[in-house]
This record gives sequence, structure tokens and C-alpha cells, in this order.
Amino acid sequence: MFRKLYEIIIPPASWRSVAVVVTGIMAGLFFFLVYVSDAASYLSDDPKACVNCHIMAPEYATWAHSSHREVAHCNDCHVPHDNFFNTYYFKAKDGLRHAYMFTLRLEPQTIFIKDAGKRVVQQNCHRCHDELIRNDRVMAFTASFHQHARERLCWDCHRETPHGRVQSLSSVPFARVPGPGSPVPAWLNRIMKNK
Amino acid sequence: MKAKRKPWVNWLLFFTTLVIVFLLGLLASSIVERRAEAVFVNKPVVKLADYEPRNAEWGKNFPREFESYTRTSDTSFSTLYNGNTMVDMLGEYPQLVVLWAGYAFSLDYNQGRGHYYAIHDMYHTLRTGAPTGPDDGPMPNTCWTCKSPDVPRVMNEVGVAAFYSGAWASRGPEIVNPIGCADCHDPNTMDLRITRPALIEAWESTGRDITRSTHQEMRSLVCAQCHVEYYFNKKFPVEGVNYLTFPWKDGTGPEAMLEYYDRMGFSDWTHAISKAPMLKAQHPDYEVFTTGIHFERGVACADCHMPYHSEGGQKFTNHHMTSPLMYITSSCQVCHRESEETLRNNVYDRQRKVAEIRGIAEELIVRAHVEAGLAWELGAGQAEMEDILYDIRVAQWYWDYVAASHGASFHSPVESSRTIGKSIDHAQQARVALARLLASYGQLDEVPYPDISTKEKAQAYIGAPMEKLKADKAVFLETTVPAWLEEAARREATYGQFED
Repeated sequence: MFRKLYEIIIPPASWRSVAVVVTGIMAGLFFFLVYVSDAASYLSDDPKACVNCHIMAPEYATWAHSSHREVAHCNDCHVPHDNFFNTYYFKAKDGLRHAYMFTLRLEPQTIFIKDAGKRVVQQNCHRCHDELIRNDRVMAFTASFHQHARERLCWDCHRETPHGRVQSLSSVPFARVPGPGSPVPAWLNRIMKNK
Repeated sequence: MKAKRKPWVNWLLFFTTLVIVFLLGLLASSIVERRAEAVFVNKPVVKLADYEPRNAEWGKNFPREFESYTRTSDTSFSTLYNGNTMVDMLGEYPQLVVLWAGYAFSLDYNQGRGHYYAIHDMYHTLRTGAPTGPDDGPMPNTCWTCKSPDVPRVMNEVGVAAFYSGAWASRGPEIVNPIGCADCHDPNTMDLRITRPALIEAWESTGRDITRSTHQEMRSLVCAQCHVEYYFNKKFPVEGVNYLTFPWKDGTGPEAMLEYYDRMGFSDWTHAISKAPMLKAQHPDYEVFTTGIHFERGVACADCHMPYHSEGGQKFTNHHMTSPLMYITSSCQVCHRESEETLRNNVYDRQRKVAEIRGIAEELIVRAHVEAGLAWELGAGQAEMEDILYDIRVAQWYWDYVAASHGASFHSPVESSRTIGKSIDHAQQARVALARLLASYGQLDEVPYPDISTKEKAQAYIGAPMEKLKADKAVFLETTVPAWLEEAARREATYGQFED
């Protein structure tokens, strides 16, 4: 059966060159897409990848001026770290949603974190600050936590952490945020300029 | 073609095509970038004259702002009490007809629409009458002051006091563009600027210099050029001219302004039923806003009514000024992280509560007017009525200070409730005194509340000649207005284009 399918797909010998060129065009376009969307950067942990689309500029700028900048990157808080597969599953899920929203221009003027994201961030608060609420020696100073915390999220009280309290797509219009840069390589620019 | 070919030839062909397509892609994106540059560089298309009144001319340089401004023509958005649709307030609240008996507001009063309709709606309201010539009609030229960017243009040509003098109809052909760009912006720098002398003079009257305002203050003050309480001073600074003045010398609260008016013995009109010397609050929007929590925290009008928007990474100010409930995401939620529904209900809750006591005040003041009218009929004298009429004046002023102020119940629910509370107190004081007075003239029964369940019944009750007013208006709209617009078009055709 596979053999039959193979025979249908593979063009007759006389068309083979055309088919190869067409496949080459598609492959070339695919690589160009990967290159121009900087797709490889999404595998990294670099916060710059998160501002590839300008929508996240306010989040980047506020984080870059917060104390968390020194110790935690976007992924440290916004992606689960319980196991390797869940990390990449969540990252891919979020990433696809963001790509979809951005491409179709569906983003709201003010972005809100979804419930799934909230749970992840809360877990990650605990991941680093666990000592404050579990270590008996530290608890001497934070004893009231278990009394007051209940169902509340850390940032219900720590509202400035780390993105500040005033937020919208336009809230940091002049912040210096790393842009996506030009996809045109320097050598090509040199050639174009010389013309 | 040969039946057999070495596989590496195919592979070579494949990779060569791949590389070529990739390079072509790079070239294409380079071209796209260069094209985009040309679009994004902010290049003014036209040079604007210093008092350019035509909004569309400004729009050529600032398409995003202009486009959002033109959306003030939208009339499809309703909130619980207002929005941008036109609401016949006298139809909705017929008791207003009695409260304003003897004053033009009892004839026609609508919830205002967007800035786009400033001129259009002024033609159509019965309050401006139906002038047949340049010196005819009930209103002075001062009424144009807040309606158009043609106003600073003409003021610049003829002078401030000269602008205010004369009848409303005399400047009909001059004032044609609705509120827009030149009212708030400097055409060269796009900085905010105050174009109406009344606000500058009001600040001077309290020893302040408005030119020292910060940018954030200016984002409210340009609105405060018009969204304030004002009156026409016929004696000062020019005798016989209806000079636009804000009564802010002693403060902007309802008590301070009342004292200001009392001291100069000012009244807008004498009530047709009670003969009380009345005050009409205009729209003390800015004054009430400054007593609210948002103002105290440094929020400006523009923060909520003209919030920043981002479109494809470009930030601009949304010039569609309207109820912020229309775009809660970019107004409220920038600071408040609650859901849209919660925020909307927070606003409605405050509005409902203030509206509730406002309704109580209205009924009491109507009763006071009617009872005072009966007292005159039964033979009461001026001396007996003096204090009662003053209480009615005060009660209605406090009520109107809140009722006339757009968004007061949200801008400052506490100040609004306090002021309405005082209104109810004064209305009841007047009615207690009236009950005694009426009893002394033999009227012991309750004075019946008039049947004013509809606008028509209420207007019939006060005896307003509605049919004639409407007929005259129709003639005015058919003959005078087209003539004005034609003359204006001829004048504007001489402005020409200031191509760069």
C-alpha cells in the first residue's frame, strides 16, 4: 500500500527536475520563515525572545527595572519547572496562543494573565521563596503568613512585583526595549547602500 | 530527457533553489523594511495656519488622531444613564420642565452627543431660537464660545470683548466647524494650549498663572476651558457685553460659587411659577471632578476619556472622547485589574445611588415652586416670601450643581451626595415655611403635585408655546442655516492649501 502511495507521489521522470525545484522553493521559504520570525530564539531562556513582538514591551521594560531582573527571567516565573516535559509543553502552548493572537491582531489594549498562567507563577513564587513560608527559623518573622494567605496569590498584596501597577500596551512608550532588529544581514545592507 | 540521472544532481538542484529562494526572501524583507520606513517617518503633509479651524486639514498630518476624533460622530453607545446617544432629558425627566419654568432650558434640553455635533445640535436646539436676521434671536454671541475652533480664530481677529458682543445670529457664517483640533493644540508644536480667555482669566482671578501648568494638568485644563460652571457678566469688564466669566474667585465648590453669585446679586432668571431669583448651573464637570479620588491621585480627564491606544506598536492618544465605559480595557483596567463587568457595575452602583436622592430633591423642589406659586395667588407679600424664595434658589442651585455636571456621580460620589443632601435640606426648609405661610392664608390641605407625567403635559402646565417655537425653528433651519454655511464655504475656499 505504501508502495502504491509512493508511486503516486513521485512524479514521472520527465517532471522530476520541476518537482525538485518546487520542493526547493517551499523548503527555502520555510527556512526563511524560521529565520525571519527568529523561531530558534524561542527555545532559549533569553527574555529578549519574549519581546520579539512589541506587545510585550511594557512587561519587559518593567521587569528590566525590577529587582527580579538580577535573579529571574521571564521563563523562571511564567513557565512551570516541575518536569522537563511539562516545561516545554506549557511553553509551546503559550507560545502558539501568543503567535495566534499577535498574527491576527487580537491583542487587547490591556493584557491579563490567564488562570493557567496564574497557577504557574504562584508555583514559581514558592519555588524560590519557599524558605519564607516553610523554614521554621524564618517563620518566626513571617508567622502570620499561614493565617493571612489562605487562597490569596502573592501579588494580591505584592502588587508592584515585578511589573508595576499601571499596565497597558501603551504604558511604557519610550522605554528602551530590545527590538527584533533587522532580518537583513549587514553584508546585504552594505551592497544595497553602495548602489 | 534521460531516464536515469545521478541522485546528486537532484540534490544539487534542490539546495541551489533553496539558497536562491532564501536570498530572495532576504532581499524582499529589505525592500519591505525600506517601504515601511517611508510610512512611519512622521512627515507633516500640510503646514497648518496659526488658527486653522478646519479639523480635516489637521487630520492630514495626524490621521490616527483625526480618525478617532471623527468617531465622536458615533451615537450608538448607551450606558445606564448616558453614553453618546442623544437623550431627550425633558422627556425622560418631565419635572425638569417645571424646575426651569421661565427659562429656555424648559423648552428643549438633550443629553449632549459627541464634539462632532457641537454646531449641528446648536442649530437644532429650541434654546437658540429662530433668528431671522443678524441682530435677531434670544442668545448672544457668547454662546458660540465653546462650540468651535473658529472661535479663537475670530477672537484673534476682532478681540475678545468684541467677539462676545452682538446677537448669536451675527456670527453664524463665521462659526461653522465643530469643536476640534485648534481648540486644544498649538498648530506648530502640537503642545496643548488654552485658547479660551475665560479660563485664563479665572486662574488670574485666584492669583495663579495658567501657563505654569504641568503637562498632566494641561490634559485636564484644556477640557476645563468649557466643561465648567460659567455665567455672562454684563457689567464687567465691559459694560453691556455678555462677558464669559467663571465664578471661581472664592473657590469652585457649590457654597463658594453661591456666595459669589449672592454677593453680586446675580440671577439667571426669575422663576415663572415661584418668582424665585434662580441660578442655572451650567456643567461644573471640572469642578466636581477635582473633588474626586481620581483627581486627588493625579489622574487627568484625558487618562480615562482619551486613553492611550497602541496600534501595531504605535502609541497614540485616542481622540474619541466619550464615556470611558466604552473602552474599559484601555481606561480603567490600565490601573484596576478587575473584570470589565465588575468595573462597570462599580460605576453604575455609584450612579444609581446619587440618581436616587437626586430624584427626591427634584420632587421636593417642584413642590416648593408650586406651593410658592399658590402663596402668591393667595396674596402673600414680597417680605413674607423673601426667605422662602432664597431657600428655593439655594435648593435648586445645589441640585443643579450635581444634575448638570456630566459624570458627577462617578467623578465624585461623596461630593455629589453631600451637595444633593443640602439641596433636599433647603427645599424642605422652604416647604416648612411655605406650609406655615399657606396656613396663615387658609390653605391647610396639601397642595397637589401637578400632573407632569410627560414632557408635553409639563410644558402645557408652564404654558410654553411649543408649536410656534418648533415652526419658527423649521423656517430657520431651512433658510438661515444654509445661507450661513454657503457664506462660510466661500470664505474657507480662500484659505487654500498650505502644501509643504
